[in-house]
Amino acid sequence: MLDNYLPILIFILVGILVGVGPLVLGYLLGPRRPDSEKDSPYECGFAAFESARLKFDVRYYLVAILFIIFDLEIAFLFPWAVALGELGLFAFWAMVVFLGILVVGFIYEWKKGALEWE
Amino acid sequence: MAEKLIFYILAVITLWASVMVITRKNPVHSVLFLVLAFVTSAGLWVLLEAEFLGIVLILVYVGAVMVLFLFVVMMLDIDLATIRAGFVQNLPLAGLIAAIMAVEILLIVGPGNFGLDAFPKPEPLGAEVSNTRELGLLLYSVYIYPVEIAAVILLLAIVAAIRLTLRRRPDTKFIDPAQQVRVRKGPDRVRLVKMAAEDVAPVVDKGDAQ
Repeated sequence: MLDNYLPILIFILVGILVGVGPLVLGYLLGPRRPDSEKDSPYECGFAAFESARLKFDVRYYLVAILFIIFDLEIAFLFPWAVALGELGLFAFWAMVVFLGILVVGFIYEWKKGALEWE
Repeated sequence: MAEKLIFYILAVITLWASVMVITRKNPVHSVLFLVLAFVTSAGLWVLLEAEFLGIVLILVYVGAVMVLFLFVVMMLDIDLATIRAGFVQNLPLAGLIAAIMAVEILLIVGPGNFGLDAFPKPEPLGAEVSNTRELGLLLYSVYIYPVEIAAVILLLAIVAAIRLTLRRRPDTKFIDPAQQVRVRKGPDRVRLVKMAAEDVAPVVDKGDAQ
């Protein structure tokens, strides 16, 4: 089975090479004459107004966590879809119940306005 | 042989990344090292012929959960100076608790739980065995009850996340495109009124008034 993953391994190695190679070449070949002005942070050429570490709005968190929940639902769907042919009607209705419970949550978040951005 | 080499490379990267997670000062760097640890763990799972779990680890953990972690880390506005302040004076107590926990772990999962004698290497399954299919066959027949419980837990997570973080902002000003589209020509728009021209007002000569 693992022989089938050899192309993926080669792909990963080539990907790492393409990603790291230019950085290494730039590090080795590029001229580096740093001074305090070059190394200081700037905004569009002038001195920075404030720290770049701004606090994120909590609404991004809500969108992300709702995404994760339905992402996990997908993870349950894949093995079900592959094995459904051999499992029959019982597994089908089991998944209907599974999705039904999550649709309750989906209706809740829709009606609550959690998907609205304002 | 090649498998063993890949295993050791992935395992070393996993361990190194895990150590980096707990030693980095910048929490964003910690999260990124955790991503690296997850990616290499996914590689280890593929080596164990559990390719579905490996792909789910990438898809769910790296793709979604770590994004959430990054959001949380960026939302918290962590001031590292205050966190590091009591490091030295808390070190003895923290070290003691860590030692107790390590001993507890050793008592429960002792050396008897490791080694190839206790757990012989499983036979390679061959290319025709689909890990995803085997998982589905078990999950939706024997373990159907836990699957439905998982659905309820996910529902709970939806409700809890909305209850905890949904904030109404009545003071924000925004345009609702749905309302804009629904505007009708008659009553909702600006109405132009035609009216007859009126006489020009008489010019008052200011010079005469004085």
